[in-house]
Amino acid sequence: MKIVIAGAGEVGTHLAKMLSKEKQDIILLDTKVEKLQWIDANYNLMTVVGDPSSFSALKRAEAGKADLFIAVTPTDDKNITACMLASKLGAQKTVARIDNYEYMLPENRAFFKDMGVDELIYPEMLAAEEILNALKITWARKWFSLCNGKLILVSTKIRENSSIANSKLWDLTKEHNFYHVSAIKRKDDIIIPRGSDEILINDIVYFTTTPEHLNDIRDITGKRDITVDSIIILGGSRIAIQLARILPDSISMKIIEQDYEKSLKLAERLPDAYIVHGDARETDLLIEEGIKNIDAFIALSDNSETNILSCLTAKKLGVKTKTIAEVENLQFISTAESLDIGSIINKKIIAASKIYQLLIDTDISDARCLATTDAEVVEVIAKEDAKITKGKIKELDIPKGLTLGGLVRDGVGQIINGDTQIKANDRVLIVCVNDILHKVEKLFG
Amino acid sequence: MLSINFKAIAKIIGVLLCIEAIFMLFPLFTSIYYRETDIFPFLFSCLITAAIGVSLFLSTYKSNDRSGKREGFMAVTLSWISISLMGALPFIFNGDVDNFTDAFFESMSGFSTTGMSILKDIDGSCHGILLWRSLSQWLGGMGIILFSLAILPTLNSGSGLNLFSAEMTGVTHEKLGPRISETAKKLWGLYLFFTILLFILLVVGPMDTFDAICTAMTTYSAGGFSTKQASIAYWNSAYIDYIITFFMLLSGINFALIYRSVFRNPKYLFQNEELKYYIYSAIIGTIIIALYLTFSYSETVNYEWSFRTALFTVVSGLTTTGYSIVDFCDWGAFFFFFICLCMLCGACAGSTSGGAKMIRTIILMKNTSAEFFRQIHPNAIRPIRVNNSTVSHEIVSKALAFFVFYVLIILISCIALSILGLNIEESIGLAISSISNCGFGVGGENPDAIFTTLPQIGKWIVLFNMLVGRLEIFTVIILFSPYFWKK
Repeated sequence: MKIVIAGAGEVGTHLAKMLSKEKQDIILLDTKVEKLQWIDANYNLMTVVGDPSSFSALKRAEAGKADLFIAVTPTDDKNITACMLASKLGAQKTVARIDNYEYMLPENRAFFKDMGVDELIYPEMLAAEEILNALKITWARKWFSLCNGKLILVSTKIRENSSIANSKLWDLTKEHNFYHVSAIKRKDDIIIPRGSDEILINDIVYFTTTPEHLNDIRDITGKRDITVDSIIILGGSRIAIQLARILPDSISMKIIEQDYEKSLKLAERLPDAYIVHGDARETDLLIEEGIKNIDAFIALSDNSETNILSCLTAKKLGVKTKTIAEVENLQFISTAESLDIGSIINKKIIAASKIYQLLIDTDISDARCLATTDAEVVEVIAKEDAKITKGKIKELDIPKGLTLGGLVRDGVGQIINGDTQIKANDRVLIVCVNDILHKVEKLFG
Repeated sequence: MLSINFKAIAKIIGVLLCIEAIFMLFPLFTSIYYRETDIFPFLFSCLITAAIGVSLFLSTYKSNDRSGKREGFMAVTLSWISISLMGALPFIFNGDVDNFTDAFFESMSGFSTTGMSILKDIDGSCHGILLWRSLSQWLGGMGIILFSLAILPTLNSGSGLNLFSAEMTGVTHEKLGPRISETAKKLWGLYLFFTILLFILLVVGPMDTFDAICTAMTTYSAGGFSTKQASIAYWNSAYIDYIITFFMLLSGINFALIYRSVFRNPKYLFQNEELKYYIYSAIIGTIIIALYLTFSYSETVNYEWSFRTALFTVVSGLTTTGYSIVDFCDWGAFFFFFICLCMLCGACAGSTSGGAKMIRTIILMKNTSAEFFRQIHPNAIRPIRVNNSTVSHEIVSKALAFFVFYVLIILISCIALSILGLNIEESIGLAISSISNCGFGVGGENPDAIFTTLPQIGKWIVLFNMLVGRLEIFTVIILFSPYFWKK
């Protein structure tokens, strides 16, 4: 598939790197040579220097022949213009990254479609939704609702009090059958487990389960459930504003913003929120604002280091249940996870995985990245006569680095084990490492 | 401990040797067709190469492909060495040379497109051997690794890119498509097309089919092996001289530029500064040498002859092909230095020619001139511009480092060769001719005798220069640097 990416910013380069590993034809377009040089020399893709909103640059980047045109420059008007031009030149599908809530409104979608912008991506909005999700189930590191809510993928860290710690997976499957261990994150490695693998203390384990068994997972991992009704947000960033917009009324929020002018603007934009002007790294301020009685601390400033450190401080000061940090440096993510910060939010990964969903074949309707870029969760519908339907799972030769978590048959979600027989038209949830995704198509195609 | 993924390197070498074994079938069929003595030598060489290649590949087939810059450099250098080693087998088995050094020399001279020949009796050599020499230059010209990138999907990933940058010549590497295989396919397609075109033009003239095939391959790869002892002078035809001159000139142009000009927009050709300087150098060089010849040898030559000879020799030197239509050993010191300068500069980056490449020379000259400007105006910002865009400091410093190493290697090999008993002219000529992959035998009484009379150690020095020159210094020398081995 031919993909043109306009804008070699953080999202653009992240996508380009990821997709070039996926063996797609990538052309990266940006006005600045310096941004392109390194990626051109190190990744299997082509770069073009030029303005994404100029016809000649788009022609040089062969945007007209592109199956997908993605505009992710920092400004939304440029993205929209670039998409309009690209679709006029003949691009099959266009995606623009925007930063305006109005554009996302359903009544405006048709307007953008007419202009030639097929999809809109709003990373800050997606990030806010992800935070809200994380607040719903506080004991989980991350959770996704998949297959129209019939299956859930939930990750949590295993502590000493968990009943499944230090046990082998094949022993566990004999005991329970309401979950499937789909991935284990141990230090920096992601393990797609087999029966012989063991769950160790401090592993982050990804379980596939059905919604009704979510609480059982909580029990076996020794976690408690707490409903969040008060949060502190560090930094009045764009994500914070979106979060304030979608946060239910039952949760009260405080925003601590360092910049005075910005705090005034925030107060104007968010009349219901409680805005504090001050430095959230100061412990006195946090104590004064009642950090001990707060359920969740969410650090969303522009600086990843500040976010990580202030989350640690908040934890020490006794925030009740959860810390969430926005970490934009990809390298810091695994460090932050090992420091026991509850959830990590990364706009780049969120935006990239959303765009990723758009380009995967229509058979694979949902693709997301796990905590890091190492593994993916994919939903696939098994075709008639596909290789996967030819026998029970344990009889088939499933490639290493790939596991089948659960399936939805006739609208009912169920967990897959060795004795499961997959039938045609089953919607199957797969967890796999990045470079093995092409094998999925072979198994199900 | 530093971990270099040797298995991934072995795998690449294995694949390349398999490809080489397939190419060995062509001389094998030729020798069967001509019923000459080299049937079994080629059969054995082919089988040995294939056996080593397949076993290397199979033993590492399942290992992971993780490979970075280090692996890229190492894989390219080692592949070129192993390909040349295997390429030497036919010469040993057929008895064309009597020791291993000579065979390896001949083979490396082929793959690196240098074209220094150690064979004493080229006219009497078997057709298979002659074809193999030409074929090795043809493969080496565009690069056998690039060829494998074009045809093998397995290398089409990040690691393939490292191989591509380590093998391709030039300062920056222009891509013709988003995938590395696409770029490789287009470059090789163009290469094949022009080689065939040249073959047709040659066969129309006074050249038989076999010689035309070989000459087409060695001309367009800027190699310089000939099927005749007398080189191109054997045919003594103005038509052949001009055709070969034109295609040598073409082989010195950046292939990516040719591709873009032909398939996208012809105006790229006229906007390219490197090409402009390259053509000017050829024209000015021709005029100087033609005038020199006309005045120095006014009693024996006519104007057309001196023009044609000057053009042919200058282009042959500039593109580092190394063909000659006259014996220029007695043309004096001026010509000697002039042709050395041509070989040093070379032609455009991204072509099959050797030398330091025109683009580096341009950057160096512009940087020097900017340095003079800065002496007077220390605060002035004066970026170096090539092709209407600024050249970054990293690239300038890369080009400078390249030149320093280039001159250093030439000097060291000059000293080493002079210790072995060569005179000044011979050692300078040989050092420059080998590192620029030209293959002119300048300096001696008899241009080609110098290679055969060279002592064994001298051959190894020249051999090393040929490899270093073809892979543009850094790829090979980096293996000897402490940075490569330290974490």
